[in-house]
Amino acid sequence: MKFGENALKRLHILTILAAALTFFAAPGAALAQDAESVDAVAEEVAAEVPAYEYYGPDMIKGQPVDGAINIQPQYSPIGQEGAWMHNGILMYTMFGISLLILGLLLFVMIRFNKRANPVPSKTSHNTLLEVIWTGIPIVILLVIAVPSIALISKQYASPPEDAVTIKVKGYQWYWGYEYPDHGVGEIISNMMPQDEARAAGFPAQLEVDNRLVVPVGVPIRLQIIGADVIHSFAVPSLWTKLDAVPGQINETTMQVDEPGIYYGQCSELCGARHGYMPIAVEAVPMERFEQWVAAQGGSMPGAEEAVAEEAVAEEAPVAEEAPVA
Amino acid sequence: MATTADTFQAHTDEHHHDADHKPGFFVRWFMSTNHKDIGTLYLIFAIFAGIIGGAFSGMMRMELAEPGIQYLHTFATWFGAENPTMDQALHTWNVLITAHGLIMVFFMVMPAIIGGFGNWFVPLMIGAPDMAFPRMNNISFWLTVAGFCSLLASAFVPGGTGLGAGVGWTVYAPLSTTGSVGPAMDFAIFSLHLAGAGSILGATNFITTIFNMRAPGMTLHKMPLFVWSVLVTAFLLLLALPVLAAAITMLLTDRNFGTTFFDAAGGGDPILYQHLFWFFGHPEVYIMILPAFGIISQIISTFSRKPVFGYLGMAYAMVAIGVVGFIVWAHHMYTVGMDVNTKMYFTAATMVIAVPTGIKIFSWIATMWGGSIEFKSPMVWAIGFIFLFTVGGVTGVYLANGGIDNNVHDTYFVVAHFHYVLSLGAVTGLFAGFYYWFPKMSGKMHSEFLAHLHFWIFFVGVNLIFFPQHFLGLNGMPRRIPDYPEAFAYWNGISTLGYEITVVSVLVWFVNIAYAYTMGKKAEGNYWGEGATTLEWTLSSPPPFHQFETLPVIEDKDHH
Amino acid sequence: MAGAKNHDYHILPPDIWPLIGAISGLTFTTGMVLFMHPEWSSVGHLVLGLGIAGIIATMFGWFSKIVNEAHSGDHTPIVQLHMRYGMILFIASEVMFFVGWFWSWFDFALFPAALTYDEAAGLWTNIAGQDGEAAARIFPNAGIHVLDAFDLPLLNTLILLCSGTTVTWAHHSLIHGDRDGLKKGLWLTVALGALFTAIQAYEYGHAPFGFGGVAYSSAFYMATGFHGFHVLVGTIFLAVCLRRAYKGHFTPKQHFGFEAAAWYWHFVDVVWLFLFVVVYVWGGWGAPIH
Ligand code: HEA
Ligand code: HEA
Ligand code: CUA
Ligand SMILES: [Cu+2]
Repeated sequence: MKFGENALKRLHILTILAAALTFFAAPGAALAQDAESVDAVAEEVAAEVPAYEYYGPDMIKGQPVDGAINIQPQYSPIGQEGAWMHNGILMYTMFGISLLILGLLLFVMIRFNKRANPVPSKTSHNTLLEVIWTGIPIVILLVIAVPSIALISKQYASPPEDAVTIKVKGYQWYWGYEYPDHGVGEIISNMMPQDEARAAGFPAQLEVDNRLVVPVGVPIRLQIIGADVIHSFAVPSLWTKLDAVPGQINETTMQVDEPGIYYGQCSELCGARHGYMPIAVEAVPMERFEQWVAAQGGSMPGAEEAVAEEAVAEEAPVAEEAPVA
Repeated sequence: MATTADTFQAHTDEHHHDADHKPGFFVRWFMSTNHKDIGTLYLIFAIFAGIIGGAFSGMMRMELAEPGIQYLHTFATWFGAENPTMDQALHTWNVLITAHGLIMVFFMVMPAIIGGFGNWFVPLMIGAPDMAFPRMNNISFWLTVAGFCSLLASAFVPGGTGLGAGVGWTVYAPLSTTGSVGPAMDFAIFSLHLAGAGSILGATNFITTIFNMRAPGMTLHKMPLFVWSVLVTAFLLLLALPVLAAAITMLLTDRNFGTTFFDAAGGGDPILYQHLFWFFGHPEVYIMILPAFGIISQIISTFSRKPVFGYLGMAYAMVAIGVVGFIVWAHHMYTVGMDVNTKMYFTAATMVIAVPTGIKIFSWIATMWGGSIEFKSPMVWAIGFIFLFTVGGVTGVYLANGGIDNNVHDTYFVVAHFHYVLSLGAVTGLFAGFYYWFPKMSGKMHSEFLAHLHFWIFFVGVNLIFFPQHFLGLNGMPRRIPDYPEAFAYWNGISTLGYEITVVSVLVWFVNIAYAYTMGKKAEGNYWGEGATTLEWTLSSPPPFHQFETLPVIEDKDHH
Repeated sequence: MAGAKNHDYHILPPDIWPLIGAISGLTFTTGMVLFMHPEWSSVGHLVLGLGIAGIIATMFGWFSKIVNEAHSGDHTPIVQLHMRYGMILFIASEVMFFVGWFWSWFDFALFPAALTYDEAAGLWTNIAGQDGEAAARIFPNAGIHVLDAFDLPLLNTLILLCSGTTVTWAHHSLIHGDRDGLKKGLWLTVALGALFTAIQAYEYGHAPFGFGGVAYSSAFYMATGFHGFHVLVGTIFLAVCLRRAYKGHFTPKQHFGFEAAAWYWHFVDVVWLFLFVVVYVWGGWGAPIH
């Protein structure tokens, strides 16, 4: 049995000391993927796509990194905000409190052990202390709550009227992307067979055959729904995660700051191949997006409208930020 | 609790032949109406279930040791599949995590901490001769066993893609309704019905016992904190489990009788299931941890040789945790598409729980402060508990933030969080209680050396399993996947290594039990010395078959 | 002194019924699974029947023992107090069980799904995300004709309220040593309970919507159905008390069995009042009446 061998290999160094050392030792390169899994998971895709070159591996921005210990770098405004809250507030709080408790425990263990303090005190009340350790956590929590509430409400800022609408549908076990504003019908996105992905230099199990192509720098309205069971559309580097629930349209705004490829995985247990329904977002400059739309046989929404909008933008400077030209 | 104990002790010792009135084997163990015997049954059952649940997690860690699918086909054949396809193998993964979660929660922690320690020590600590409903006590136990049988059966019958129910311990619809045809899911659902019925009856029993059977003079405010913890837990069980029962009954009728509670096509609402489940599920997590809090309070006080600091605050903090625990459930559902105000409410409400929990942590430390601490094995486990639970608790507060949870929901960060409070919290509490009370229950002393060794190997092992999972989660690794992108390989390897170390610690524990029964010294009535003041220490070890035939009297001057 | 207990608690001898009860429970649930999957096993009915028989036997054996223990004086005041607590807590858990069903009802009623109904095919379609979605979000769902709340349901409400008074009559008679009144009150209560069940059964039989298929009828039948089941259990409970009354079991001082039945009956009554208001009156408001 393979496990036994593995276990033995590791167990012969099994002392507490060795364990601590192993903690820092690199486990070696990942093993080759089981070929069978690739076959079984590969899905037939029959979308005949005119020439549009997807980005190559050099454009990968959002993906996990081996041995990493923190969140993925963030490539969206809301992600920046979340990352700030994570790194700037919550990490300090978590480590601070844990270390405080550890420190207190070590202190009492040293100072008040039987040898150091043979006669125990009988103190069992101290109102002031109790007020303090009720009060200080309340203050800490309030400090956390303020930006936390702000973050939540920002996540809900509704997209502007002219945001790019994409309908995302979760199926067992692939994704469907539809662009109603552009007349682009549902594009089916399956996991790319893992060998193929590896050969092309993409991360296996994250790469797909058809990516979700979106324009950078503008808000995108995602309308997410489940076709059969609940799935969850998630892209960690864009701070986006929303469930695809049958019979219920969930809407969220996603915005990508830089062109690139951003990977995610289905994040709600949806059956056997839940692990094999990745998400790959390809964010591209607007011109390239137009090119892509054209390649899909669609068209950009009304040109006249765009002109009218520009006129409005000149009058009201506030509207300058209105993203879609 | 110094009671009229001295005279009482003399009485029990003198009449130790009482124990000879024990019935024969079958009658004693299969027809029991004795709270200590039923407690023992629960403990044995929990250990058995813990081994199975632990073995399942071992199979999971094996598969996750490296990227790719290595063992699932083999595992699928163990459950009876012949030449499993890839999908059947993948389904086996889901069956493993489902069984692991359900077994650990419903058939290991709950039976051990409430059924086992609760049964054994609630009556002893309040000076009662037995539980209020001894016969019902017994059916609570056997219903738990029945539930376990139903769950095991489910793994071997068709469940949709493959054999067994592969839906996660949360059993979300519609994956558990339209998504899993076949009897496996129904067996699993009924398993929860049976175990749940047992727990509701048990809760009724505990509440009645604690309210009505305290020894003369033991007011509620003099009750040991372990008893308080079981009281609050019993209320949570009583009020939360029936809602789960309703929810899973809806699953059954949706699956088999054409209702559409969770079927959007018929106007049902899949999210309704999640509300009902978590209305139960969140109190459930406190059901698993509150009794551990109680155990830790007894132990810290005993080995610091000081009364518990801020007793009333400690008791009411648990009540507060229980009450607030009922109004925070949707923090498990931040990504289902709730509206913004609801999310804000649940964020705020959830964070509130950190306050009473903090009171408990600080009061434990204050109990040790000024004490004369002896590092006997239960104390070492208890101190370990305080630290490990704090780590799990603060990551809980992290998750409580709806906007942050948006990023880490359904990733290994959540897995790390709940194993820190469960596998490192509740289980550490269990082992603490085990070493504290094992000699009392068995009459044999365990080896302190082995108990310390057990602790240290366990401590290293479980931290190695679960600390790296925080990194995996932050870096984006989803839960409930049998195979992962290569970028998650490093920390997963470490995690599996940690599991192997943990298994060694569990083996040390078994050796210790074997040692106690073969070579262990006979335990005295109060083997921990003057710090141990609750009523169970006034009795012999093990206590007579029927204790407190004359009720002990608690004097006014006695404190808790 | 050994073995001589100096307290009023009831220390029980070992008993086989709990084990039999649990095994019967498992047999019942296993039987249900097999019954629901006839494609998979054909012995479902048999196992199910065995399970139900076992559960009934357990109840009978178990409660008989309790009655016997009451007669042999084991039920001291403190033990009777235990039973009061036990019954109250049991009812509390039952209340939470119904909370689950009401929750589903409110979910469907307050946040109705976008359903359209095809009369001819008898089929519902969820049109979430399509045109006319908002208009389709009605409750009771499109195509549902409801029962007139102020017809038989109102009658049933009155019947249950009446039965609440008759059971109280029985109780007062019992306390004042009037055995005749006790029996009459109980007879009436049981009869009213049976009448309620009969009317409910009639109404189910003539309801304008079937079981399941759509949210409204799922929640309607399961909520009122579980209530109906509780009425049945309560009626049997009261009938047992009636029989015990004939046997002269209850005394003005000690009659907890009767009280438990009465409490249970009141609980069932209150649940009905909520069902009547929430499901029949409020829940059916505005929908076409059958
Ligand atoms: C014993 C079990 C247990 C316990 C005690 C807890 C305790 C807490 N849990 Fe946890 N939780 C689980 C078991 C438990 N949890 C499980 C099983 C899941 C996953 C279920 C699933 O999806 O399968 C889960 C998931 C879970 C989620 C959902 C995550 C997700 O799915 O995305 C959240 C979110 O709010 C959460 C929050 C909390 C909080 C705030 C606490 C608090 O009670 C913690 C309070 C404790 C402390 C904070 C530490 C001590 C305090 C101090 C030292 C004072 C100072 C502290 C501060 C000022 C912060 N938990
Ligand atoms: C109490 C609960 C509990 C406990 C103890 C554990 C213990 C362990 N768990 Fe698990 N786990 C869950 C509850 C628990 N777990 C839940 C609820 C889930 C979610 C399932 C889902 O997604 O649906 C989960 C999921 C889960 C996953 C994620 C699977 C996935 O998402 O794909 C993993 C992966 O590594 C894992 C691993 C482990 C390991 C290695 C241990 C090891 O620590 C095990 C080592 C063994 C022990 C610690 C000893 C056990 C105890 C005894 C032998 C008895 C003691 C009795 C007395 C003292 C009386 N668990
Ligand atoms: Cu789709 Cu998980
Ligand atoms: Cu929770």
